[in-house]
Amino acid sequence: MRSARRFNLNGMVINAAALVLVLSYALPYVYLLMTSIKPAADVQQIPPSFFPVVISFENFRDVLQSSILPRAFASSLMVAVLTTILSLAVAVPAAYVATHYRRRITTLFLLFALVTRMVPSVSLGVPLFQLLKSLGLLDTVPGLVLAHTSAAVPLALLLMAAFFEGVPKDLEEAARMDGCTRFQAFLKVILPIMTGGIAVTALFTFITSWNEFLYALLLTSEATKTAPIVIAEYNSVYGLAWGAMTAAAVLYSLPVIIVTLALQKQIVGGLTFGAVKG
Amino acid sequence: MKKLLGASALALVCIAASAKAETINILVEGGGEMLQKAAAEKFTAETGIKVDFTVVPYQGVFDKFSAEIASGSSAFDVVTIDVVWNAKFASHVEDLAPLFTDAVRKDLPPALLADAKIGDKLIGMPAWANAEIVFYRKDVFDKPEEQKAFQAKYGYPLAPPKTWQQWRDIATFFTRDTDGDGKTDFWGTDTIGSFSEEWMAHVLQAGSPGVILDKDGKVIIDNEAHRKALEFYIAPHCIDHSVPENVNETGWGEAQNLFYQGKTAMMKFWAHAYKMTPADSKVSGKVGVAPMLAGDAGIAAIPGPWYNVVPSTSQHKDAAKKFIAFAIANNALGIEAPLGLAATNSAYNGYASKPGYEHFTPLLETLGAPATQGRPMNEKYQEFVDEAVLPAVQQALTCKADVGKVLTDAKETIEDILD
Repeated sequence: MRSARRFNLNGMVINAAALVLVLSYALPYVYLLMTSIKPAADVQQIPPSFFPVVISFENFRDVLQSSILPRAFASSLMVAVLTTILSLAVAVPAAYVATHYRRRITTLFLLFALVTRMVPSVSLGVPLFQLLKSLGLLDTVPGLVLAHTSAAVPLALLLMAAFFEGVPKDLEEAARMDGCTRFQAFLKVILPIMTGGIAVTALFTFITSWNEFLYALLLTSEATKTAPIVIAEYNSVYGLAWGAMTAAAVLYSLPVIIVTLALQKQIVGGLTFGAVKG
Repeated sequence: MKKLLGASALALVCIAASAKAETINILVEGGGEMLQKAAAEKFTAETGIKVDFTVVPYQGVFDKFSAEIASGSSAFDVVTIDVVWNAKFASHVEDLAPLFTDAVRKDLPPALLADAKIGDKLIGMPAWANAEIVFYRKDVFDKPEEQKAFQAKYGYPLAPPKTWQQWRDIATFFTRDTDGDGKTDFWGTDTIGSFSEEWMAHVLQAGSPGVILDKDGKVIIDNEAHRKALEFYIAPHCIDHSVPENVNETGWGEAQNLFYQGKTAMMKFWAHAYKMTPADSKVSGKVGVAPMLAGDAGIAAIPGPWYNVVPSTSQHKDAAKKFIAFAIANNALGIEAPLGLAATNSAYNGYASKPGYEHFTPLLETLGAPATQGRPMNEKYQEFVDEAVLPAVQQALTCKADVGKVLTDAKETIEDILD
């Protein structure tokens, strides 16, 4: 009886802690959502109100009709998808080789990938600008994809390396004994069981590119301007268009939410991959 | 015959050369391109030179231009920069002195001309300019019972404030509890604690030879005018209680919203806000405007101009300069844009008598006032503000600090930055 009560108490504490944690993440987004559906005049009510008194979609209508946001969304989407594909194409085989054929050089390779994550992107902006300019790739989708890929590959590599560490080497050896080449073993045996890990890596790579601001600012102009740049333009020296900014931010967050929900099963599988391997 | 053929061939070459499409690229902050778009279209129609705008967020102008400079080449032929960056970019842009003809010089408020000059070089041509003026609620100022009560209490008529004392009196007079719940819900004005430009305007009104630094670059932030201005700036909050409490969380946006929501009777604000008063605002159609306040040195403000500069690395310098000359000659074309701003006196004067442009007369008076002048032209200006000036203002607004001491501390910090 006493232990049951203690169990319930523990459960309640855990639930309360979980609720606080969820709210701390969710509240800012809910506030963003609430702000986006307020009429322009109510957005900066003083004192501020959490819930809208009147629900209005004028902010959404404004950003979709009277700005270049839809074009910037298309640009962001194209760049993020291509960056994700290119990053995975490089990182997945590289991570497999680095983890399954371990040599000193492969360990150094992974270490180097980790180090590149520590270099602030602001210090790479100008060299990248010069490089892409000399290649004639400024303000182009391929140019921005290359820049984003350079930042995303180390992350993808490290994530995939962690996932590949959980794959028993016996699997590949069994496949080789059954007559597969190394490449066939990788393609037919290893990759299918890595879908969860690849989904997680793809999602993080996509989000990295989707949210990237500095390279997009420095390397694009009008032709390939991405949505974060356009959203930031709502905050100008002569005013801050909160309503439009929050509506654009809500719209901008939707693809990530949709992709996350769509890949939920694979992501959970990927995140727990190797947790119970024996 | 040979001569005729030669002349015809030469004419054809000239026509072909002039018809050759040339494009100049302008880097500008979002909203700023609208102020130059009409001039650009007219320029293209008259010269055949195409004008492309690259629009970025405010900080993006600085970041992108800096990256271009660092790379040693430029995709931009004109960059429209905030005056606070003039000193920073001065050595990377062309001298535009030849574009400053006598006619242009006469047509510009002196403070704008002064801000364009870095060393011996005129680094940029004003594209548009702004300044803080006084906004007030005409509907409450015009009420006979308010006028009578004010006259009785202060001994002079209720009218748009012109002096520091009038500002404080009127703000105190209008601060009240309108719904009888015992809490103040209508304030005379606001105090901005998250920006320091408004205080700097008062420094000039008080008669300081400059803001933060004098002409020789000596730190003067602790002089008598700075001290008097700071005492005046904090008084509505610390002594009169005629502003909402959370002053250090109040910025331009909050001040504007308090006024638009009908919660303040007056505000000092950038003039463009007059034209941009939302139609669904509680004060729409009820806003009056007056020049900025006057201290011992008269009316003064810190102008907010933007300058067109030509990067030294531009590939189309001649076309860029041609555009800048054209833009200043056709400066009034920007007034039809949403922000409705220009730089020249003639552009503003041309609209001042038109309905909807009542703010131009006080703006012109404020911009052209003898005491009006820009912020110090120093590359480290933003550091001064972030590390010394704004902290000093915010500390003073706690109402507990010694104003003289916070300014002395600010002086030491700025001297450290300069060293």
